[in-house]
Amino acid sequence: MRFSSSPIKGKLMRIILLTSGAVLILTCTAFFLYEFVAFRQSNKVQISTLGKIIAANSTAALAFQDHDDAYETLNSLRAEKHVVAACLYDDSGHIFAVYPLYLKESDFPASPGKPGYNYVNSFLVGFEPVLLEQKFRGTLYLKSDMKAMYERFTLYSFIALLVIAVSSLLAFLLSNRLQKIISDPILALAATAGIISRENDYTVRAEKKADDELGLLTDAFNQMLTQIETQNAEITGLNHALERKVVDRTIKLEQANNELKLQNEFVEKILDASVHHIAVLDTEMRFTSINKMTEQIYGIKRDEVFGKSYIEVFPQSKDSRAHNDIQRALNGKYVHNPVTKSAIINGYFENYFIPLKQDSKVYAVLILSHDITQIMEANEKLMRVNVELEKSNNDLEQFAYVASHDLQEPLRKIQVFSNYAEQNIDNKEDTKKYLLKIKFSAERMSDLIRAVLNYSRLSHLEEQFGQVNLNQVIENIKIDLELVIAEKEAVINTGKLPVITGIKLQINQLFLNLISNSLKFSNNQPVINISSGILTANDVKQYPELEPEKRYVEIILTDNGIGFEQEYAGKIFNVFQRLHNRSQFPGTGIGLALCKKIIDNHHGSISATGELGKGASFSIVLPL
Amino acid sequence: MIRKDRHNKPAYQTIILKVIVTLLFIFFIHNHLSAQRPASRESALKAVFLFNFTQFVEWSPNAFSSNEDPFVIGILGDDPFKNDIDEAVTGEKVQGHSIIIKRYADVKDVNYCHLLYISFKDPKHVKKILDSLPNQNLLSVSDAYNFARIGGMIRFYTIDNKIKLQINNEAAKSANLTISSKLLRLADIVN
Repeated sequence: MRFSSSPIKGKLMRIILLTSGAVLILTCTAFFLYEFVAFRQSNKVQISTLGKIIAANSTAALAFQDHDDAYETLNSLRAEKHVVAACLYDDSGHIFAVYPLYLKESDFPASPGKPGYNYVNSFLVGFEPVLLEQKFRGTLYLKSDMKAMYERFTLYSFIALLVIAVSSLLAFLLSNRLQKIISDPILALAATAGIISRENDYTVRAEKKADDELGLLTDAFNQMLTQIETQNAEITGLNHALERKVVDRTIKLEQANNELKLQNEFVEKILDASVHHIAVLDTEMRFTSINKMTEQIYGIKRDEVFGKSYIEVFPQSKDSRAHNDIQRALNGKYVHNPVTKSAIINGYFENYFIPLKQDSKVYAVLILSHDITQIMEANEKLMRVNVELEKSNNDLEQFAYVASHDLQEPLRKIQVFSNYAEQNIDNKEDTKKYLLKIKFSAERMSDLIRAVLNYSRLSHLEEQFGQVNLNQVIENIKIDLELVIAEKEAVINTGKLPVITGIKLQINQLFLNLISNSLKFSNNQPVINISSGILTANDVKQYPELEPEKRYVEIILTDNGIGFEQEYAGKIFNVFQRLHNRSQFPGTGIGLALCKKIIDNHHGSISATGELGKGASFSIVLPL
Repeated sequence: MIRKDRHNKPAYQTIILKVIVTLLFIFFIHNHLSAQRPASRESALKAVFLFNFTQFVEWSPNAFSSNEDPFVIGILGDDPFKNDIDEAVTGEKVQGHSIIIKRYADVKDVNYCHLLYISFKDPKHVKKILDSLPNQNLLSVSDAYNFARIGGMIRFYTIDNKIKLQINNEAAKSANLTISSKLLRLADIVN
């Protein structure tokens, strides 16, 4: 058990025992040391006195060289058993007598040393001069062992041990009794403190046993307990007050919360009632609020998108215009975009991106979005109508031009030949000739007017679309043109053609015009080939005017006629555009323009390729 | 050289003879000296002993007429010590008195003396001398047989080649001399 964790009783006992033990040991040690020094000194004095006596008694023996007497004198040392060796040197330093007798001369120093006594290797060794009337007669050598001291020390040690044992026992008994004076109040205090900490009973008081510091400690402890008790009471009171306050606050808070909830619901209702799409994004572009309209149009649920970022919910809108506008608004700019094509759904929106700020710091972006798809569609329709209007204006202008030029020409001829006929009315032959010319001109005019009417009718007639079998159309045309085909010995090769959706009369006119043209613009036996094929989706993409999702058929019509120069390929479909002299190839100049018009009505495509003198090839694309 | 000597035989023999005679002479001389030496050493020791007696015997102050008076060691008869005694006492003092050596041929010459060595051997003769000596303050010493028994105080005698002492303390006491117990302890006491 470590000292610091042992009980105070044991500590006190140990302190007392250790202290008394240490004092005893120190005292004994000091006593032993003193004894050691004192013994050595007294031993020295004793031996030197002995030496002086022996020396004094040796003078005669030395003076008269009486070895026997010298030995006898030395032999008196027997009485002092600690003198283990002695000898006499004569005045010339030779050994004269030794004690005890059995020792040899070699056992002694060869010559006398300086007078005096010294401890050498636990022996006291000394030289005493033998003087006779102050005259040097010789030297006495003495050697004494320390057994006397050891004997004494053995005795002392025994006594010391006995004293230590007895006093330790006494100290133990006394300390065991006396330590209670200190430990009992402390233990009582500790026991009280233990009861208090165990049972939390602060009404317990420690019993005061004395008026010393421990008594003061007990008093202070009791006082502390009293203070704790009062403080506890105060704290309990404060706690109750605090609890009441908390309850009050909680009620108020709940009220405020309810109000806030109602307000929120109110705001939410207003937002949900809005026809606009409203959304709020935080600085990390995460949805924090959306209204019903937004949910509906984008097909999202607020519970699913809250906390998710705009890009996470609409990955397709990354780097879109709206995305950029949100970022600008997050930088504090008020952004208004009148028209934005949505990257998420099919439609157009007028968008407002309003930065929401607190202390001039943006914490969210309010997105207000107004669906303007219908307006945009109406606009587009209007624009289309406008384009058509412009086109018909152009047609009208062309028509006016035709009227002013092409129609005036036969009219002027009629005027001129009428004048000639009037002036030569007497010449029957001439008059007849002029009248014939007038008749041709009138017929020509009639043709022109009919053709123009036809063309304009195409522009305005709203005819019903229906199933048109192209094989049947071509067969009918062959019958209509039977005379010309027979006259020119023309060959028309037709492959298997599809049934398309179209206006039957117009499709009929389209192929009639094209086949008539091929028969007309040829100088030898005409050969016309008609074939067809379904366009693939990729093919459809080559035609910008076609709608990619519809299916189309391409009909190729080739002839071996006069053809045309490729540079005119774009012009040949214009009204009254003629590449040839009328006298060479008669015609109104409206035929191909009519074809183009019909194709436009069917939302198809027509193009021509040609080589002068070799023939032409028409590609007609029509929806199935 | 040796061969040459053989040719001169008479000369060679003469040299040998001379050497032998010389060696014999040296031998005899030596023997004579060696025989005398123990006696000489003994007398030297005795000379020292004579002085040592002064250290173990107390003379009463009235033995000296004044403090300046010397302590006299006398030798009666043949002087066996020669220089030895003079050397032994050089620079020494007895009870504060300087020591002088006096040699006496006849007992009549002895008047102021503190220690007298009587070199005569014949006891009868010695007895006569003792009787004629002053009875106070004179320590008598001799080698004579029975010296201590016939009224002498200290006698030298030799046993096992060692000088021993025989003392008549009564005689000394009656002469107003106090012999140290240390000295008495060494000696053979007779009355």
